Amino acid sequence: MSPTPDARVDALLRDLGSRLRRGSHEAARQTSGGRRHPTGLTDVDALLGGGFPAGRLCEIAGSLSSGRTSLALALLSQATRAGEWTAFVDAADAFDPSSAHAAGITLPRVLWVRPQDSGQAARACARLLELRGFALIALDLPPASRERALPPAAWQRLARAAAASGTSLVVLSEQRLTGTSSSLVLETRCARARWSGMPALLEGLEIEAQVARAREGLARRIAAVRLCAASRAA
Amino acid sequence: MARSGAASCACLLVVDLPRAAALRAQSDLSGRPFALSSGAGGRAEIVSVSPEAIRHGVRRGHSVAEARSLCAALDVQVVSPALEEAARAALLDAALSCSPRAELEPRRAGPYAGEAAVSADASGVASFFHGEAGFATALAQRAAAVGLPARVAVASSRGVARIAARRLEADGETRLLAAGDEAAFLAPLPVDVLDPDDALAERLTRFGIHTLRDLLRLPQRSLAARLGPAAISLAAQARGQCDLPPPAAPAETRFVESIDLEYPADRLEPLLFALQGLLSRLLARLEVRHLACDELTLALDFAGGGRDVRRIGVSAPTRELRVLARLAAQSLESQPPRAAICGAGLETRGAPLRRDQLDLFRPPGPAPGALAPALAELASLCGASRVGAPALADHHHPDALATRPFAPSSGDVAPAADAGDFRLALRRLRPPAPAEVQLRSGHPSRIRSAVCSGRVLRCAGPWRTTGGWWSRDGRFAFDHFDVQTEDGIVVRLRYDHVAKTWQVDGVYD
Repeated sequence: MSPTPDARVDALLRDLGSRLRRGSHEAARQTSGGRRHPTGLTDVDALLGGGFPAGRLCEIAGSLSSGRTSLALALLSQATRAGEWTAFVDAADAFDPSSAHAAGITLPRVLWVRPQDSGQAARACARLLELRGFALIALDLPPASRERALPPAAWQRLARAAAASGTSLVVLSEQRLTGTSSSLVLETRCARARWSGMPALLEGLEIEAQVARAREGLARRIAAVRLCAASRAA
Repeated sequence: MARSGAASCACLLVVDLPRAAALRAQSDLSGRPFALSSGAGGRAEIVSVSPEAIRHGVRRGHSVAEARSLCAALDVQVVSPALEEAARAALLDAALSCSPRAELEPRRAGPYAGEAAVSADASGVASFFHGEAGFATALAQRAAAVGLPARVAVASSRGVARIAARRLEADGETRLLAAGDEAAFLAPLPVDVLDPDDALAERLTRFGIHTLRDLLRLPQRSLAARLGPAAISLAAQARGQCDLPPPAAPAETRFVESIDLEYPADRLEPLLFALQGLLSRLLARLEVRHLACDELTLALDFAGGGRDVRRIGVSAPTRELRVLARLAAQSLESQPPRAAICGAGLETRGAPLRRDQLDLFRPPGPAPGALAPALAELASLCGASRVGAPALADHHHPDALATRPFAPSSGDVAPAADAGDFRLALRRLRPPAPAEVQLRSGHPSRIRSAVCSGRVLRCAGPWRTTGGWWSRDGRFAFDHFDVQTEDGIVVRLRYDHVAKTWQVDGVYD
């Protein structure tokens, strides 16, 4: 006697197992062709397997002075130099055009949206992802102490929208916010601030970046990056 | 006979403009008995009547009370000059969508007082519509698209085209008068179609001249001596000659839609409802002209006198009604009108929708047609000043902020950057966080603020920024320090010499 259709489906589900749950993720990878957005920082790109993956929700988490903003600007710089359209959804209202210019970002290729809270920021991101055509969207969120965090369902929706559009959505936060919705979480911390001369001058920051979560099973190595402060004389 | 190479002109005619304007603003009046009166009250005169009301015996010239006695279900509204003016402009837009040269004919008195006519130059452009018949049909369709059913006639002159349009039976009909047929068409028509002045009309009646054929039979040399100089012009028109110049191109492009509210609106909901109607009519006009709305001016007339004129910024030209309505609502909610509103108007200059040339060597961005409404929606969500491309502020004030409209092009140049040199970014604090600072030898030694607190480990500075010294309100002077506190945070601290306060205005991150 041949098995019933229900039994066949059950058998199929058993065979596929966890691969079935990764179906949308695999489809997204194939849609975006495994493309990555490099930061231009050799060690960080090596750590990430070439850069931040296209069509995924990623997160850079780190406290103040941990270098997360500098990393995001480096990412935008590489993308705009490649002629891509990018957006910076600045719910923290912290974007500094002078720093962005110094980081080599082509400013006309960045859409700067300054929402007044996280809810507006999520809606703005969803609208931009729906639009398609933006290669990279950075979402800079204010610290959780300042306002209520977005619910997990919102992150899931944004992750799905990013997968559908092929856009990388990179969230900047002080603490991890995206939970299991993100494909990649990079944690940053400040190793030390470098000062020089007498009278003293801020030379830059030495930061460390570590992959805290990666669906692709990246090694949890640490990359050290040296960031230079802009010259005061300039 | 064909008119190849010769001048030709089309007339776009709306016979009963007050009724057409009312129907354009309130489509729910269609199919119902309604009339327009010259004023409020039972004694006001009926100036326009719908066909449904005519079937009940209501006629122009009746008083409102009389009309209501003939038709109990009659909807009577006061005629609105604002709606009529907008409808006349919309008719001109319909004509300008087909021909670059079109003009509104001046208003007439007497039996033709209610009509609105636009003359459009058909010379040379008819070929774009597969001939004059196609041109006339396109004109009628564009007029219908802006909510005005119109009649269209094409002839060799403005005067003949207008007469031919008047002789059409129904809205939407078109007529072409070939050059050789115009005399035969005009001859049997009554002299009244040329709209002579009262004195001349009376003299013609006394002479027994009723048709244009009768007029042309008179000896032309003695016409002026017997009937006055106006008769010469009348005879020329009867022959199909017109002394009016061809229509000219409009000097400026401006789209205005306005409405007089029946009752003053003291709440936002009814006002927003009226604005939605204005916007939809404005967008229909922009659409036939292949333009979009780039910046809106909203004018509100207060019931007790006075006017509120406000500008509603639109970050990119769009024809999305939902987005523009939200922007208008946002403006009204943020700054509610100070009194009840009795009239509202919207004005825009119109701008072409953005087009983009794709680059062979660069990745494509969003479709321009989709980008503009998305930008407008983001502007309505966050505020028009909060969406754009960042730009370097042309000002020395550390808090100066500049944005430009977001419109990337293939010519955008990336700034020069040193290879392998990765810049430390500054996270701005807007507004700067107030700080309490203890000094030692003129340098910060301890900080307490919402961003960082504790003993200062390293400090660099100060760097002074001053400006605006010529202005009492605009002057500024800051001493900036780079400071690392014991909690590991490196911040940019400043002392404001004007406000005499310490602030943290950025964090190195």
